[in-house]
Amino acid sequence: MDGASFRIIGLVMVMLISSACKNASDDQRVGAPFKADIQLNWVPEPEFGGYYAARDSGLFDQEHLEVELKPGGPGIPTLQLIESGQVTFGITTADNILIARDRGADLVALFALYQNLPEGIMVHAERGLGALEDVFKGGTLAMEPGTPTFKVLEKRFGFHHLHVVPYTNNLAPFLHDPLLAQQCYLTAEPIAARRAGASPQVFPISDTGYNPYSGVLVTKRDVLIKHKEEVRRLIRALKAGWTAYLKDPTPANQTMHQLNPTMDEATFEASSIVQTPFIIGMPATPIGQMNLERWQTLSGQLVELGLIQPSDPQSAFLPSE
Amino acid sequence: MKALYQIVWLPPLMSFVLITGLIECSITLMDLPAYLAPRPSAVALALWVHAEELLKATWHTGVAALLGLGMSALLGALLAITLASHPLIRRAFYPYAVFFQTVPIIAIAPMLVIWFGYGQGAVVAASFIVSVFPIIANTLNGLLSTDPALLDLFRIAKASSLHTLFKLRIPGAIPHFLTGLRVASGLAVIGAIVGEFVADSYEDGGGIGTAVEIALKEQRTDLVFAAVLMSSLLGLLIFWLVSGLNQITLRRWHLGEFKDS
Repeated sequence: MDGASFRIIGLVMVMLISSACKNASDDQRVGAPFKADIQLNWVPEPEFGGYYAARDSGLFDQEHLEVELKPGGPGIPTLQLIESGQVTFGITTADNILIARDRGADLVALFALYQNLPEGIMVHAERGLGALEDVFKGGTLAMEPGTPTFKVLEKRFGFHHLHVVPYTNNLAPFLHDPLLAQQCYLTAEPIAARRAGASPQVFPISDTGYNPYSGVLVTKRDVLIKHKEEVRRLIRALKAGWTAYLKDPTPANQTMHQLNPTMDEATFEASSIVQTPFIIGMPATPIGQMNLERWQTLSGQLVELGLIQPSDPQSAFLPSE
Repeated sequence: MKALYQIVWLPPLMSFVLITGLIECSITLMDLPAYLAPRPSAVALALWVHAEELLKATWHTGVAALLGLGMSALLGALLAITLASHPLIRRAFYPYAVFFQTVPIIAIAPMLVIWFGYGQGAVVAASFIVSVFPIIANTLNGLLSTDPALLDLFRIAKASSLHTLFKLRIPGAIPHFLTGLRVASGLAVIGAIVGEFVADSYEDGGGIGTAVEIALKEQRTDLVFAAVLMSSLLGLLIFWLVSGLNQITLRRWHLGEFKDS
C-alpha cells in the first residue's frame, strides 16, 4: 500500500469517527428514537401497570423513546442482566441495589414505584393473632431464605419457636395448613387466598421499621452518564404512565391480562386498587420520588444485618429535579 | 517405581490446576467483576471461610441423597423385575416409568410438601423421583438380555422360572443395575438439592440447596460456586461409593468389568 492511499483511508476513518461523535451529541429527537429495554422482575401484573399504560398510550413515543418491556419470572437475574449490559433498565428493590453496589456493581436507582414496602406476612385470621410478633410464637413460616426481610425478622423476633420452611410462590401449603404463615406481597397472595376460600390476615413488614423502596427502576451508572437526557425523558414518561394508570387501570390491566392469562381480570382490578396507597405513600409523595434520608436509613439497616459494609448511599439514586 | 502418570490422583489434580489456573487468568485478563464471574481464588477463600456451614449443608444433603438413591435402588430393581416378568406387564406399564424421568420436580413440589411434610421426607422423595429411572431402565435391559444359550440350559435342566430368575437372570443383570446406580448417583444429589429449594427445613441451617439460595439472594457469587463445588464433591463421593460396591459385588463374576476404573 503506498503512502497516498494510506492517508486517504486515514482521512475516511477520521471523518467516520467524527460524524459518529456528532450524531451522539445531537438531540436524539431528530434522529432515531432512543432504544431501551426494561427487564421486569415478574410476569405482567399491576406492579407494572404504569409501564404498560405508558407504552400503550404512546407516552414513550412522545418522549422519542423506543421501549421494550421484558416480562420476568421467578429467579430472573435482573441485576446481573443490567450489570452485563444485556438489558438497559430493570426493576428491583432498593435493598438489592445497595447489596449489589457493595459487591462492586455501580448501579443507580432512577424511579421508585412503591413508597412503602408492599410485603408482609400472611396468616389465617382464625388464629386470632394480634400483631406481627405473635406469628413467631409457634406454627410454621414459609419464607425465602437469605433475603434482607428474612434476616430482619430473624433478628427481631427469632425463629426458635416456629418451623421455618421455603416459600415457592405456591399457595397450596398455606391453604392446606391452618397454622402456616407465609411471606406475601400484600397486593397479590392475600387476594388469591381469599378467592380460594381462606380468610387471610396480613402484617406488613414495614411495621418493623424496615421499609426499603421497591418496584425501583435501576440502571448502570455508565448508561446514566451517557444518556442522561434520555433517562430524564423515560422518567417523565413513566410518571405520566403511572398517573394515567392510577386514574384508570382498566386498559393496561386488559393488556397485561392477555400477556398473563393465568391472572384473571377481577384479580388484576383488585390488586391495582390495593397497591395504590403504597404508590402514593404516607404522607403523599410525588410518583417515583426518593429521598436521601430513606436511603441512609436503609443503608444503616443493611450494615446492621451484616449484608453490606458502611457506605454513603448518596450516589445510589438519582434525586428528583 | 511407578511412572508419574500412574499415580491415581495425579492426572485429575493436574487437570484441576490447569483448568482453574486458566479460569483465574482469563477472569483477571478480561477484568470481569466478581458479580459476573468469581475467581477460583475467591471461591477457594469462600470455601475456607464458610467451611463449617458448607460441610454441615453437604452432610444434610448427602444423607437425603443417599436415602433417595437407596430407595431408587430398591424400588427401581423391584420395578424392573416386575416389568421383566411378562411382556404384557412391560407393555402396559413401562411407558409410565418414563414419567419419572420427565416430571419437573418444581411443578409437583407443593404436592410433595403436602404428602411428606417439610423437611427430609419431601427432599428424599424428590431425590428418589429424579434418580429412579436409570435404575429401572438399565436393570430391565440386563434382565432381558440374558444369554439365550444359558436360558436353554436352565430349561433343559427343568429349572423353575423362579429358579431361573434368581440363579441366572438377576445375577446376569447386576452389572447393568450397577451402571444404572452409577448414573443415578449424581442425579440423586441433584434431586435432593432441588427438593431442598422447595421443602428444606431451615432448623439446622439446611442443605446445599438452601446454601445456594441464600448465597444467590445475598449476591455472593463466590459462595454460590463454593456450594456448587461441594455438591460436585458430594456427587463424586457417592459415585465412588457405588463404584466400590461395583468392585466388591462383581469381582467374582465379571472380571472384565473394571479394567479401567
